[in-house]
Order: sequence, then structure tokens, then C-alpha cells
Amino acid sequence: MFYRLAGVHHTRYQSARRLWPVPADRWQVLFLLALAVVAPFFLSNLYLGSYLLPWLIWSAAALSLTLLMGTAGQLHFGFAAVMAIGAYSSIHLVRFGVPFEIALVGAGVTAAVIGSLFGMAALRVKGLYLVMATLAMQYLVDWVIINVPAISGGAQATLRTPTVSFLLVPVDSLVSRYYLALIWVVLVTLFFLNVKRTSFGRALVAIRDKDFAAAVIGVDPFRTKLVAFFTSSFMGGVSGAILAFAYYRAVTPEQFSFNVSIQLVAMVLVGGLGSAVGGFLGAGFVLLIPIFLTNLVAWLAGAGWIAISANLIAHVPLMIYGALIIGFLLFEPLGLAKIYDNIRKYFLVWPFRHSRS
Amino acid sequence: MNRYKNGLMAASLAAAMATAGSAAAQEDAIKFGLLQDFTAVYTFVSGEYNQGQRDYLTLVNEEGGLDGTMIEAIVRDHGNEPQRGIEAYNRAKEEGAVLFDFFSTPVSRALVDSVLEDEVVLITALHGRGDASDGETFPYVFPMMATYWSQATVLANHIEENEGGLEGKKIALVHIDSPFGREPLPVLEALAEEEDFELRNFPYPSPGNEQSATWTEVRHFRPDHVFIWGAGGGQPVSVREAIRNGISPEDIYSVVWLAETDAENVGADTMAGVKRFEATASGTDTPILQRIQEKVIDADLGAGDAANVGTSYYNVGVASMAVAVEAARLALESEGAPLTGPKLKAGFEMISDFDAEGLMPPITITASDHQGGGAGRVSQWNGERWEPVSDWTAAYQDVVQVEIEEGAEAFRQGN
Repeated sequence: MFYRLAGVHHTRYQSARRLWPVPADRWQVLFLLALAVVAPFFLSNLYLGSYLLPWLIWSAAALSLTLLMGTAGQLHFGFAAVMAIGAYSSIHLVRFGVPFEIALVGAGVTAAVIGSLFGMAALRVKGLYLVMATLAMQYLVDWVIINVPAISGGAQATLRTPTVSFLLVPVDSLVSRYYLALIWVVLVTLFFLNVKRTSFGRALVAIRDKDFAAAVIGVDPFRTKLVAFFTSSFMGGVSGAILAFAYYRAVTPEQFSFNVSIQLVAMVLVGGLGSAVGGFLGAGFVLLIPIFLTNLVAWLAGAGWIAISANLIAHVPLMIYGALIIGFLLFEPLGLAKIYDNIRKYFLVWPFRHSRS
Repeated sequence: MNRYKNGLMAASLAAAMATAGSAAAQEDAIKFGLLQDFTAVYTFVSGEYNQGQRDYLTLVNEEGGLDGTMIEAIVRDHGNEPQRGIEAYNRAKEEGAVLFDFFSTPVSRALVDSVLEDEVVLITALHGRGDASDGETFPYVFPMMATYWSQATVLANHIEENEGGLEGKKIALVHIDSPFGREPLPVLEALAEEEDFELRNFPYPSPGNEQSATWTEVRHFRPDHVFIWGAGGGQPVSVREAIRNGISPEDIYSVVWLAETDAENVGADTMAGVKRFEATASGTDTPILQRIQEKVIDADLGAGDAANVGTSYYNVGVASMAVAVEAARLALESEGAPLTGPKLKAGFEMISDFDAEGLMPPITITASDHQGGGAGRVSQWNGERWEPVSDWTAAYQDVVQVEIEEGAEAFRQGN
């Protein structure tokens, strides 16, 4: 009823192969996109700047990582380091006089080159051993940033982003920074959705499912894995640069520490491996739920509903958050994206449940 | 029917008035945003520190507030994550907070620009950027206590004056391998040149649970004095390793982050003799602490475990709020209500010779000096508590000033 599948006939391959062949899905996406575009006009600065903006940027980062982890099946526990390389190189490039648009690409390329250097480990090792190799990347990059003042920005280890303009629009107000992030996340999402339909995307999936088998059917594991690391690191690097310029505006090494890598992995896993919806939902969950819970518990305590010590008040949100993660993964191990998928499938045929496939 | 209607209207009117009244009362209160890290990295200090802050604010309110104006603390956890700090900051700012204390270096650093833009006060007692002491460059940031640079000079000065001089000595700086750990290095290097002593630094990897390799090297260096520069779990490890490597406790000097809990972890007797920098007196002998005990703790209004009252970090919290409340008082007196960021900033810059009734060294904050003089003292663990072994002094501020100016210059240029 809601999805109105009746009467949707695909008479050409072109229409059957569209990103959203069902019109209802298309309308939903367009509606959400329209909401996102007009968000600055109805959201207060608090919600735009502290919720929506970081959510979009982290979604782009999570999508970059899920291309590698979900689609290509290569575990990466040092993705924050990739973003750090992007953030730092974009700032240094801009300071060097490079226009911001080119600096963004430069940030992506730098992150991609260094990221695929470490990705070479993936050519020989898999699974937990690859996790170790990428962890090494995280710590090496952290160490280099902290110990080379020329990169980190001197004794205070803080690097502020210079004022820049993107396509002649100055990126300084919250609204302009928001649109910059929105453009990037739309680009990343479109790329992510489309890459799955290309030969490269199918090669990635083949590598994920079994690299020997992929080699047998003619997919070059060497090339595919390397390009997977390159592409994902490129997107991660640009996301890091956007994070620096559009959100933090002052970069310190702690913003890209090991914890952030774990958060990114959590976003991908909680959201659902290899799904675009999952990237958004996972980023929202990991990023925003702790904030909501902290405010909720503080509000409840302020209203006198729960009488516990201040220390416990700070920890209760963590407990709920942990329980939520466990709960969601028990309820649906394939992540939030799968929950969305289940709901969608339910409504696809509602109210004729018997016709469910 | 009509009666019901009238009754309903009267009730709703009363309710509307009640909510308006409470809203007005809330708007009158001065709001301080104490948005700190209670769950991640800074837990070794934030619990006691924040408890001290809130108990002091309760004391002020119990004593009638600032001429009847109450002070309200907005307390939130940001878990040392910049994005959560940014959210908490923006939310508290919408609620009307005029003063912020993040007690986390990454969060403070990420928000310095926003604070300068929004014209609200950020206090960074014992954390954050030391170069924010330059009030001309950082008009809304107030370190208000001795920066790490000043702490290093006070410790060095103690050796110069009480331990037979610095000249010809070998001093080891054993520090955590992070920007914070490296911070005293330039000041000590400048001093080494000036006072002619040999300085070597020995970094140990973060988070500092394992330092044995570093201390073996320190032993080979045979230092006369050792400065330990870390925080949290790394500190007791440093003390234990130093003693195990034959360094006498009397020769160990610590940054401000060494407290009663660390002594317990090392062993109260083992640690006897270790010295540290302190920015505020510990114990409950000072008048403010006694009033807190009497009017807040005994009245059962305390914000946490009464056993924490008077510990080092609790007192730092009390002192930080004492300075902030004094600034608010001065601001209200000279600029009038309602208190805004720029007024509070002016209030801070009017503080002169304020010592919180003996709790801290007298500080004078001016438009150019937001550190307040950089004084502190050295205290020694005597097996039971920290005993001061020097007077409140500031030392070698010329050397510190060089660092402040260099950092501020870099900030102006975009770092």
C-alpha cells in the first residue's frame, strides 16, 4: 500500500537498473535530501552545528570505511589515522597557498597513497593479522604527528584551519560549512551506491567472499585489494579534511586517536556492513546516542527523577549505551541497516503479509 | 459549566504565573558550564575537582549568592571527545552559561576559537594552552593558575634556593610522550643555559603503565634531581620506578598531578619525601574549606563523598570557582546585572591580590596577563599528607614570558 508496487513496470533495462527502482523509495530519498537542503532554515544553530553537521561528516567517513570493510572485506582498525592524514595535509596545503578545492583532492591523494602503503599488508595477511597491520598504521601516524612539530603545529600541537572559500563561496559561517559537508556526503553516498554496480564493485565483493575463488574467475586480488585501499583511503582523507575545515576548525592529534578508529569500526558494524543506510544509521547511533543519553540522564537527574551520585550520573549513559549496542546486535546481528530493511520489507507488502517473499 | 470554566482559567493562569516566575528566577541565576570528562581520560582528577567546584558554588549560594544572585552549575560529561564537548558547549551556551570549564586539553583546544568568537569566558586552570596567558591574544581565555611552564620554573627555583643551587647539577625530565609531557622542555632548556645545569629528557610511551625501559636509561644518566611529568596512572608508576632505580624520594619533583590517591597507590610510606608543585593548599585548614565543611558538608548538601573534601584536586576545584565567583562579583559591582561574557571578562581582569583566604597564592589578573602571576609552591609528602616546604612564589617569569609570547604569536598567525 505504501510502496505501491502494482503498476510499476520496467520496460527497459535502464529503468530496472536505477538506484531506486521503486518510486516510493525514490520519493523517500528525495524527501530526505530536500529536508537536508532546507535544514539550515528550520534547525537552530545548536542542532545544525552540533548534531546534523557532525553526523553528515561522520556518515561520509563511515561510508568510506564500509567500502573497504563491508564491500571488500578488508578489516581496517586505523581509519582515524587515514582521516588525520587527510586533515593535516589539507591544512598544510592550504597554508602553502594551494586553493581549497585542490587541497581537498590533495588531502585525499596523500591519505590514499599512505593508506595503500599500509594496505599492502593486506596482500599477504588477512583477518586478525590485517587488523594488527592497520593498528600499526594508527600508532605510527599518531607518533609521527605528535613528534614532528612541523606537522602538528608546534608546542601546542594545535593547527587552526585557515579561512578558505569553496567554489568562490567563503566557508566560514555555519550554514556554508554545513552545505560543504552535505555536498561531500551526497557525493560519497552516490559513489558508494554506484560502485556496487560496476565491475570494480563486483570484484570487491568477490574478493570479500573468497579471494582464491575470485582469482580463479579472473579477478586480480593484488590489484583489487590495492585499489580498494586506495579508494577508501581517498574518501577517508577527504572526509578528514572536511571534518577539519567544516566542523572542528582546529586540529589536534587527539581528534584522530585510536578511540576514533574504534568508533568508526563500531559505526560500520552497528550500522550494518556494506550498506549505505547502515553508514548513516551507524554514524548516527555511535555519534549521537551518547549525547542524547547524557542529556536525558542529566535532565532526569535535574528533575529529581533519579537520585544518584554525580559520578554515577556520568556513567549511567555509558551503561545504557553499552546495553543498547549489545541489544541491537543480539536482536539483529546484521546491524541497523538490516532492521531498516526488515521494516521496509514488511511495509512493501503490507497489509498482505502472506505475499511476503 | 461556567464555574468549571472559571476554575480552569484561574488554575491555568496560576500555572502560567508559576512557570513564568520560576523561569524568571532561573534567568536571573548566573550559569557556569562545568562540562568535563568524568568517564574517559581525566577521571583521575575530574571527580574530586568537580565536587570541589560544586561544593564551593553551593557555599556561595547558601551564603546568599552574589547580592542575591544565585550561581547555577551546568554539569555534563563529554568523555574527552571534542564532538561531545562542542555539543555540550553549544547547548550550555543556549541555556545562558557565561563561563566554561572543560577540563580537557583536546576539548579546550578545539573550542578556543568558538569561545573567542562567542565572547564567553573559558577558564583553563592547570590544563589547555599555556600561551593563553597572553590576554591580548586570548581575551576570553583565563588559565588563572600557574601554567606548566611556571610550574617547571617554580620547581627549578626550589632546587636553586633550597637544594644547593642548580649549577653543575644533572637534572632528568621524565615525561609522558605527548605534547603535555613535552611542554616544560623549552623552559627547562632555557634555564639550563641560564643556570648552567645539565638537562636530559626521557619520554615514556603513553599512557605510562610501563616505564621500566625509560628508567633504566635514567639510572645510567645518574641524575641529581628528577622531574616527573605525567598525569593519572603514569604518575605512581614513575615514582615507583624512580625509587626502584635508586633515586631517593627527596630528589623526585612532580608536576601538579600527584595527589593523595597516588601516594596510596605507591605506598604512603614509600613515597615519603617526594615533592610536587602545588597550585592550591591541600587539607581543610583554610577558612573557605572550613565554611564548606560547616555549611555544605555538615548540612548534607555536598556534591559527593565527604572523604574527598580537602584533597589536592578538590581544593583546586574550590580555588577555580573562588576566582570565577570573585570575578563575577567584581563584574556585577562595576558593570551591573545581567552578567554577560564581556562583563565577566572585565571582572576577571579586575582581580587583584586575590588569594581565596589563603587557599591559593595571591593572583593579579590583568588585561595582558591572564595567568595571574604564575605563582605556586612546593610541597612534600610526609607519609600522611602534603606539607608545604616553600612559600608561594613565582620564579623566572621572564623565561616563561618568552614561551607565552612565542605561542601567542603562532596563534595569531593561525596555529
